[in-house]
Amino acid sequence: MGDEGLLQVRDISKSFGGVKAVKDVSLSLIKGEILGIIGPNGSGKTTLVNLITGFVKPDAGEVLFKDRKITGLQAHKIANLGITRTFQIMRPYHSLSAFKNLIVPLNSPRVRRTTGGRLGDRDAVAMDILEEIGFERDAYVPYKTASSLPLGYLKRLELARCIAMRPEIIICDEIFSGLSMAEIATMVPVLEKLEMEGITIMMIEHRLRELFRLVNRVIVMNFGEVLAEGIPREVMERQDVREAYLGTEVDSVRD
Amino acid sequence: MDIHILIYGTVNSVIFALIAVGFTLVYGVSRLPNFAHGALYVLVGFLTWSFIHDLKMNYPVAIILSLIISAFLGAIIYRLVLIRLRGMATSEIIASFAVSLIILEGLRMQGIGGFKGFIGPFYILPPFIEGKMRILGVLIDFQRLIIIGGGLAVVSLLWLFTHHTRIGLSLRGIAQDERAALMLGIDSDRAAVIALSIGSALAGLAAVIILPLGNVTAEAGYRVLIYALAVCIIGGLGSWAGTVLASFVLGFAMIVSTALFGAVWESVVLVGAIILILILRPSGLLGKQKELEERV
Repeated sequence: MGDEGLLQVRDISKSFGGVKAVKDVSLSLIKGEILGIIGPNGSGKTTLVNLITGFVKPDAGEVLFKDRKITGLQAHKIANLGITRTFQIMRPYHSLSAFKNLIVPLNSPRVRRTTGGRLGDRDAVAMDILEEIGFERDAYVPYKTASSLPLGYLKRLELARCIAMRPEIIICDEIFSGLSMAEIATMVPVLEKLEMEGITIMMIEHRLRELFRLVNRVIVMNFGEVLAEGIPREVMERQDVREAYLGTEVDSVRD
Repeated sequence: MDIHILIYGTVNSVIFALIAVGFTLVYGVSRLPNFAHGALYVLVGFLTWSFIHDLKMNYPVAIILSLIISAFLGAIIYRLVLIRLRGMATSEIIASFAVSLIILEGLRMQGIGGFKGFIGPFYILPPFIEGKMRILGVLIDFQRLIIIGGGLAVVSLLWLFTHHTRIGLSLRGIAQDERAALMLGIDSDRAAVIALSIGSALAGLAAVIILPLGNVTAEAGYRVLIYALAVCIIGGLGSWAGTVLASFVLGFAMIVSTALFGAVWESVVLVGAIILILILRPSGLLGKQKELEERV
């Protein structure tokens, strides 16, 4: 593997009915980092995630994972290679308890391959993952059905399903949105712990103040293109970035 | 009279459920409307009949062999045809209906290679157990009791399969949210093959349990498809609870209307129920409403 990065996106483009959602975007994700992707609504962030994870096929460009081309692979194959993601709209198995929600990823081809089928009691593994992510076992939270869980727990459950895949890269698509400050405060250490364990994280986020505590580097997108890249504070001082945001989110960083 | 309606209404309802459950499974897991469902139902009836009469197999072996063939056909239909049309709903319907036409009209074809075509009243599958018994004063034959038992067994086994097995859980994963399931490493094509195999075998199972009540005809294939569609329209496409609920609504509505107004009202009730649902609640009694799309 070269120094360029664990994941490299090269000149990728995608149009939907004449509208260029993503335009010649190139970026690289360096092993072990937390990279932030920000930008106003409709700037192409989620499309970029869909292009990387194989949910949308690019019109042009390519994605390399460990120097291997993964564009054109089916989404489940990319997931089994070790790139997993969360979704903005969560749909857990509502009728199942929280820990049973992790049984599907724990039975995935990837987990069976990486553990050589010696994972042991999957229920116990699921419980451990949930406990680490803040599902209080003493209060029987992991046993509650997903449909009865509040948003904060559902977001964490979404992340827990990713962790259960034993991924190398986790792409978080707005996992802070809709959460209270207290709920975000419980998620930040989880992400920091994942970073320490060597998992590379890419975060699409609108909650900039919380994001900037985590990331080393940020990429700003606007109208499907990369507008700026660099250290959060410096990037947010740029005039074009501030104009793209029209003040709203930038103010929330300052106050 | 009331007990009679209760018992025969239940039999009727379970027949609807048996017919629809395979169709629902396939749609629920893979969003594929398998319009060859009724054709597979009839094909299994004819295969079983042929195995018994032409190949002199014994009844249970003939049934099991027919069901295995049906499951394979389901997988082949997906691998050969539907996989290339995924996501194009109209094409999926037309293509699977074309498969249905090939099977059903093929069964009627005569004169090629000495094939006589399955036409005539003598294609009859024997009941599993001959005889009748009285329940609460109502006379009922054993085959109808087997239908009730078989329906209960199929529904409970499917529940166990989808809730407590690895493959079943991944099928539910695909059914609830295909994109999230893909992200958890589930191959949706493999899931669709499994769903179509099981769904086709279920169509066959319904056939061998239900067909001993009458004779095996190619026309039954179209009627079974209409029944499966009616249950799905009324219950809500892809909803398990909706399938069972709609089966009982239709099963009892038909028995009650027959008892009150005569048998000619059966089809009126079927069509009437569909029209009523389409007006009142087009997504079906327990059908899912459209969900919000994720923004770009």
